[in-house]
Amino acid sequence: MARAEAAAATFERRVLRGAAEHQYLRVRLELPDGGARPSVAQLKQLVVSALRELHGEVGAALPVDILTYDAKTLSAILRVISSGLVKLWSALTLLGSYQNRRCAFRVLQTSPFLLALAGNSRELVLD
Amino acid sequence: MAGFADLNLPQGPDKKSLQSLLETAAHLGYSTVALNHVIDFKEKKQEIVKPVCPSELFPSLPIVQGTSKRIKVLTRLTLVVSDPSHCNLLRSTSANIRLYDIIAVFPKTEKLFHIACTTLDVDLVCINVTEKLPFYFRRPPVNMAIDRGIFFELLYAPAIKDSTMRRYTISNAISLMQICKGKNIVISSAAERPLELRGPYDIANLGLLFGLSESEAKAAVSTNCRATILHGETRKSACGVVYTVKKPRKVEEEETTLPACKKAKTQA
Repeated sequence: MARAEAAAATFERRVLRGAAEHQYLRVRLELPDGGARPSVAQLKQLVVSALRELHGEVGAALPVDILTYDAKTLSAILRVISSGLVKLWSALTLLGSYQNRRCAFRVLQTSPFLLALAGNSRELVLD
Repeated sequence: MAGFADLNLPQGPDKKSLQSLLETAAHLGYSTVALNHVIDFKEKKQEIVKPVCPSELFPSLPIVQGTSKRIKVLTRLTLVVSDPSHCNLLRSTSANIRLYDIIAVFPKTEKLFHIACTTLDVDLVCINVTEKLPFYFRRPPVNMAIDRGIFFELLYAPAIKDSTMRRYTISNAISLMQICKGKNIVISSAAERPLELRGPYDIANLGLLFGLSESEAKAAVSTNCRATILHGETRKSACGVVYTVKKPRKVEEEETTLPACKKAKTQA
């Protein structure tokens, strides 16, 4: 009897129904050659302005974080709360210019787990 | 699974820019693209030229990312019709029209939209996304078009270029969705520059903004495009298209390379 109670104590049932708190996006900014490259603060400003342009003040208030940013390759990892993924992604899709020059955000990967962005299965060479 | 397709790449005179568009499209993961030739009847002396064979234009097509296949390039004709008499061209059996893989119409008035949905032999009906809709969509022609297997095309490149056009794009798309309930929608680019192209998953996400469900949005860049292409192929044939695909060899057949003594045992 005591053993059964101990067993019940060791196991705990946890159910997660798509309850990932955040979504992570790996993005790359494409700029025409010779353009000014944004710093990390400018990138954040660009993302917020893209959100404001498409979704207004509510979109601009969305909590978005830039976790990493590589100025050389212009690639970054963004974190956003799960409910704001569609808003952020669509805002990035419809962003067309940076400092009056054309640009494009390429969303390379999205995942609820940050570790999943370590590798990209689409870049594997399949024989 | 049907591969992703972008059924609208404008065919300009500049071969180099077209080549860079194709390369970007292949890199983003589109396995099929269609080069669009637009004919506006308002401008005089518009002749329907023979489609340029894509293999002539580009000797080596880029390889689609994630696969080992080359990108498939189709030809498409878009007729901008603003008068019912323009439709006679489609009814007549013009030789050059039949050479295109996909035929689309861009109706300017409600009457022409009705004709395009109900009687014309086309694959795509373009929806205006650059200005306010000149008419309201009505249910009978739209339902008729869905029954006939005709698809409605929305473009997204204007939405990237300009914020007013973005507003019109979304509002026109939403008003179409209220009538067609997310069925028979194709989303394509009409991008003139590589930086106006977006990846297929980006567009599937953009479809959510237009009021499509997740599955409908993905279908708008994959299965619906395939259905459009097949609908175009049926025009060339009598009534249907059948594909035969070589079946992969069975495992047993591969064992024929085993030594002869082993084979004899299993036969006995």
